[in-house]
Amino acid sequence: MNNSFVVQFWKRILLGALLFMLLMAIPVAIFVSVSENTRDEEKAVVKKDYAGDIKKGQRIFFGQADLGENAPVCSSCHNTVEIDSLNWYPSSYEIGSKFENKGLTEFKKAVLSPSTPTMKKVHATLTLTDQDVTDVKTYLDQVAVDGLTPKKPVIKNTLLLILLTIIIIIAMVDLFFTWKVKFKVIHLVVILLAIAGQVKIVSHAAIALGRSQDYSPDQPIKFSHKVHADQNKIDCLYCHTTAEYGKNAGIPSVNLCMNCHILVAEGKISGKYEIDKVKAAYINKKPIEWIRVHNLPDHVYFNHSQHVGAGKLDCTECHGEVEEMHIIKQVEDLSMGWCIDCHRTREVNFNENRYYGDYKQLHKDMKSGKIKKVTVEDIGGTDCAKCHY
Amino acid sequence: MKKYWKSPEELSYGVNTSQEDKFELDHKNAVIDLFEKDIPEKATSRRSFLKLMGFSISAATVVASCKRPVQKAIPYLIKPEEITPGNASYYASTYYDGTEYGSILVKTRDGRPIKIEGNELSRISAGKISARIQASVLSLYDDVRYKTPMISGVDSDWGKTDVEIINKLSAINKEGGKIVLLSDTVISPGTIKVIDLFKEKYPSLEWIQYDPVSYSGMLVANNKSFGKQVIPDYHFDKADLIVSFSADFLGTWIAPVPFTRDYSKNRKLDNGKKKMSKHIQFESGLSLTGSSSDKRIPVKPSEGKVILGNIYNLLAEKAGAAKVNVPKSRIDINELVKDLEMHKGNSLVVSGANDANTQLLVNKINYLLGNYGKTIDLDKPLYLKKGLDADMDKLVSDMEQGKVSAILFYNANPLYNFRKKEKFEKSLDKVSLKVSLSTSPDETSLIADYICPDNHYLESWNDAEPRKGSFSLAQPTISPIFDTRQAQDSLLKWAGAGMDYHSFLEQTWKEYIFSLQEKIANPKEFWIHSLQDGVFDVSSSNETAIPPESIEIYGPVDIKPAGEGLDLVLYETVALGDGRNANNPWLQELPDPVSKACWDNYLNISPSFAEKNGLQNEDVVEIAGLKVPVFVQPGQAEGTVSLALGYGRDNTGKVANNVGVNAWPLVTLVDGAQQLSIEGVSVKKTGKKHSLALTQTHHSMEGRPIVRETSLEAYIKDPSSGNESHEEAERNKVTLYNEVKFDGHHWGMAIDLNACTSCGACIIACQAENNIPVIGKEEVKNRRIMHWIRIDRYYSDEPDQPMVLNQPVMCQHCDNAPCENVCPVSATMHSNEGLNQIAYNRCIGTKYCINNCPYRVRRFNWYKYVDNDKFDYNQNSDLGRLVLNPDVVVRERGVVEKCTFCTQRIQEKKLDAKLENRALRDGEIQPACVQTCPSEALVFGDLNDPESKVSRMFGSERNYHLLEELHTLPSVGYLTKVRNVKAEEINDAGHDKHA
Repeated sequence: MNNSFVVQFWKRILLGALLFMLLMAIPVAIFVSVSENTRDEEKAVVKKDYAGDIKKGQRIFFGQADLGENAPVCSSCHNTVEIDSLNWYPSSYEIGSKFENKGLTEFKKAVLSPSTPTMKKVHATLTLTDQDVTDVKTYLDQVAVDGLTPKKPVIKNTLLLILLTIIIIIAMVDLFFTWKVKFKVIHLVVILLAIAGQVKIVSHAAIALGRSQDYSPDQPIKFSHKVHADQNKIDCLYCHTTAEYGKNAGIPSVNLCMNCHILVAEGKISGKYEIDKVKAAYINKKPIEWIRVHNLPDHVYFNHSQHVGAGKLDCTECHGEVEEMHIIKQVEDLSMGWCIDCHRTREVNFNENRYYGDYKQLHKDMKSGKIKKVTVEDIGGTDCAKCHY
Repeated sequence: MKKYWKSPEELSYGVNTSQEDKFELDHKNAVIDLFEKDIPEKATSRRSFLKLMGFSISAATVVASCKRPVQKAIPYLIKPEEITPGNASYYASTYYDGTEYGSILVKTRDGRPIKIEGNELSRISAGKISARIQASVLSLYDDVRYKTPMISGVDSDWGKTDVEIINKLSAINKEGGKIVLLSDTVISPGTIKVIDLFKEKYPSLEWIQYDPVSYSGMLVANNKSFGKQVIPDYHFDKADLIVSFSADFLGTWIAPVPFTRDYSKNRKLDNGKKKMSKHIQFESGLSLTGSSSDKRIPVKPSEGKVILGNIYNLLAEKAGAAKVNVPKSRIDINELVKDLEMHKGNSLVVSGANDANTQLLVNKINYLLGNYGKTIDLDKPLYLKKGLDADMDKLVSDMEQGKVSAILFYNANPLYNFRKKEKFEKSLDKVSLKVSLSTSPDETSLIADYICPDNHYLESWNDAEPRKGSFSLAQPTISPIFDTRQAQDSLLKWAGAGMDYHSFLEQTWKEYIFSLQEKIANPKEFWIHSLQDGVFDVSSSNETAIPPESIEIYGPVDIKPAGEGLDLVLYETVALGDGRNANNPWLQELPDPVSKACWDNYLNISPSFAEKNGLQNEDVVEIAGLKVPVFVQPGQAEGTVSLALGYGRDNTGKVANNVGVNAWPLVTLVDGAQQLSIEGVSVKKTGKKHSLALTQTHHSMEGRPIVRETSLEAYIKDPSSGNESHEEAERNKVTLYNEVKFDGHHWGMAIDLNACTSCGACIIACQAENNIPVIGKEEVKNRRIMHWIRIDRYYSDEPDQPMVLNQPVMCQHCDNAPCENVCPVSATMHSNEGLNQIAYNRCIGTKYCINNCPYRVRRFNWYKYVDNDKFDYNQNSDLGRLVLNPDVVVRERGVVEKCTFCTQRIQEKKLDAKLENRALRDGEIQPACVQTCPSEALVFGDLNDPESKVSRMFGSERNYHLLEELHTLPSVGYLTKVRNVKAEEINDAGHDKHA
């Protein structure tokens, strides 16, 4: 066989493989980043009748300007970057947005003569000149437009993928050109393992595509389920009233929030800031636009009353320990496999609910001891058209 | 075996006709049209391959890089108590469009009406509604509706419009000019009060009720006979012998839904009943009613009158009453008259003729037979159709003489459906103020100075009294979508009443209707109670009405012999009626119950006429100046042709515009009554072709014994007569496999062929419930119609005088389903409740299942029908999509779909039972088709429950399954059709001549 032909042949193979890797890298990188949801909002800049120094304002906010020894640093309580954990204190963005269309005096009053105990304590040592206030306000106005500094994207999977690609390239180069390692089996094993690793990463990313396990976006109000369900022992069904008889569990309407919050105007730790948002929604007649966390695809029919009302499931079985969550998070992946797993093992209230009286054969088998329990699957709970129609 | 056939072509040439071959060719061309024309011709080059690949990769990248949108969950600010998000709320209301009445429940999901269902509390419609009422929800979401008031065609606002109109009306009033309110028949007591109020303010008001298809002749006749200018109520359930002369009472005549319900009560043979009514139909075109009859005699319209005269003379002779002069009829009626005499007091003779003389004859015949007070109720007359034809002609002459200064159009569209529309339009020039209260554009609103758009009926308050003493209320189920205002509110505003129609109506009910009852003492409570029920009936102590004293036939009645020439008969179709709902794509695509054609009107000609004149389907002919395609309709009476009204609209919307031809100008006036039959027309060939979307040759079952029928006589002797092959099939039912046993439920449906009239209500109900797309004429021609339920129509006997059988066919949910085991991806499989289910997301569109289904009930989504400009119907606009049922998936392109027995409804009711800790009740679960069926021909239930109605029907000797010899074990059973005729009329008349 012609030697140049062999070289040509392998060169082409190598080139093809390289191209393939590069092409793979793009969608995979995208897959990995997709699992994060973002919110795009457009804001119009409002003209102001004052103009401070943004830079100066920013320095004050970050504690880089000298305001005296005991002066608190704004950014130590009011975060300026997006965070995963709960911070009861409003972020710089929230403050900026709240005061965006309000005047300087109002802002100054809120900062320097606060009404809540926590703020009184912390802001007591804060001294700001009128110029400082103007600068900070100008800075915050800008933040209200720009938003918080976004989180740095996590790129662990992408890095790993690129690393594996590099390993494959090195192995191939050595296999065909440099011949540093004698045994060709090693090359092959390395290449195969690396490809297997890549396939695994890609397939996992692909399976997770469209699912949003661990999704916990920032909500418009820092509503803590822990405070309500755990510390104050409010039953889930007090707010999610329709879970037992409706298709949807129901996100409480603002009038339901106001049942308590007409009296509870201030949280022990959270203060007034977040509760004020609920009140504002009620007074301004603007419903709260929550971010939906648990989403099922459109081709799935899911009914809460079937599970909570008829099936007597506890909310936590699907939603996790919600009472431990400050920020609500999707615990399960809500995949079909997860649904089916439960339907296969879950027992139905076969003897208690009179509806199941129609299942005569199963009752007979139960009586004769042929079967011990009746699962959802036994009564057709894994049929396609029970959820897809 | 008697031969059944579906079209004249099939009868003469056998199944595989040249037309079929032509279809295959068209089909191939249509597939090629899918792509750009040049693609299939070009060889794929490496360059284009790379181009395509590059595009795919970059497209994939772009798509993949789109971040998943954030979904918001926005709860109510203050949640209304009665609304549970995700659960449906039902509101009782009333449908009335000027032609048809129905007491309804409006199903709303999250604030939007998505389906109309019947109100079971109504004594008139009793939970049953027609296809047209089912489809009416779609017109709410019609993009074409007027969105604001308009002045001279320019958008305006209500303030300005009101001021201008009030000024002009006051000025006219001051000068003593005449104001005309032209409406269709108003049956709302509240609206009548509003008009009274309006008249108080503007005393020169003249209110004219105008019905395009009028019953003027009957009103005049009843006035002469009984001194009551009314339309009586008919009790078809009490009649054992029904003789109808061109009255399509199951399809379009007066009140088809209640009539169908009553009629079918006396046609069903359930629970071993051995008695049923006999129905004889004399008519020209084959109507839905004619197709249900036991004996149908095709006659010319003029001949019908001659036969009536002869019947009367024979009866009068025996009763000693005065006779009429009438030529002898060519049809022997002696036996019929004998039969009628045997059924005194329980027979019924009706005529569809709009002619006072004919109706007087009918009155006299019914009187001689003692039917008044028994099968005809004059004491509780129907208040539908109050318009007198003479009024319209007077209006035109008044306008011509300049006597009319202002005209208000309320639900009236004379520039489309008045027979002399040019004259009407010209005379309108002399009217200085023209106001249209139309909801959406029509031919008349085009010329109006002011358009004050009315709300859709689902956005309106109203009431109705369709029959004396039976009231119903309509309430809004959604706030007005556009800046429209109820017509009554407009009239109240212009009358300076200072209150809205809602409070006006409430007041009227509390004042007047409240006093008609004693049960509820508090007016407010009565109002709320009535609103919740939707209906209120005045309880009458005595149900039977007293027959009138005596009746006279005024003047000597001379009946002319039937003319020799060709008669043209104009008729309303079951789907479109007089054409006021023509912009509704669901109705446009509903195949006609008889011809099985949609998206067109056409000239029905008889097979022998076609042969004589060398005409074929789709040949365009000229008749009275109109160019229409012909359709060879078996059963069309010799010497007649017929053409549907309600088509050929313009300025109505993209769906209705230019579909078919407008036949209204052909209507004539005889003796002051509008005639829908015209004598002495001629048909001229043009040599052109116009394709028709016929679903007739679709879904052919290739001549196998699918419909089974017998005669009443044979049935009484042996209930399983006509169904002999069922026994054999049962005997041959052997299988190698274990028999599948369903524990719990086993859903099944029984269909009584005796009751089904093929009205098509089930088709539209299914379409509304299951988000079935409209695909348009071209695609229907490609045999791609998406309806999950169809009604097959078979003919037997002679083409000129055929017998008709109707058979609804949907997925048979076979327990041994041929479709299931050919699916390569297991997308279709059996549920443990006996349902044949399909998972759309799993389907890859191989269509193997379609190929393997012997019933042809599976449908393929050839295109994406949603958001596709090529299918510019309701699913192509945000507004139109509001009608979609959120519980049912909208199918993607490339997947197969079919009837699911409304799984969503089964699941819903099962869940209700579980939540209420009780067993399911029989009849609780009703698929959409079963729920709406006016004749209750369809019954759904659990076959595992031996006491259920469906099990009992399955146990009947009449029960059989479609193609049961294939051992598919369908869950749908059919009951043999029994005709009330002598045994030999079925078995001997059915011949093998054409086999």
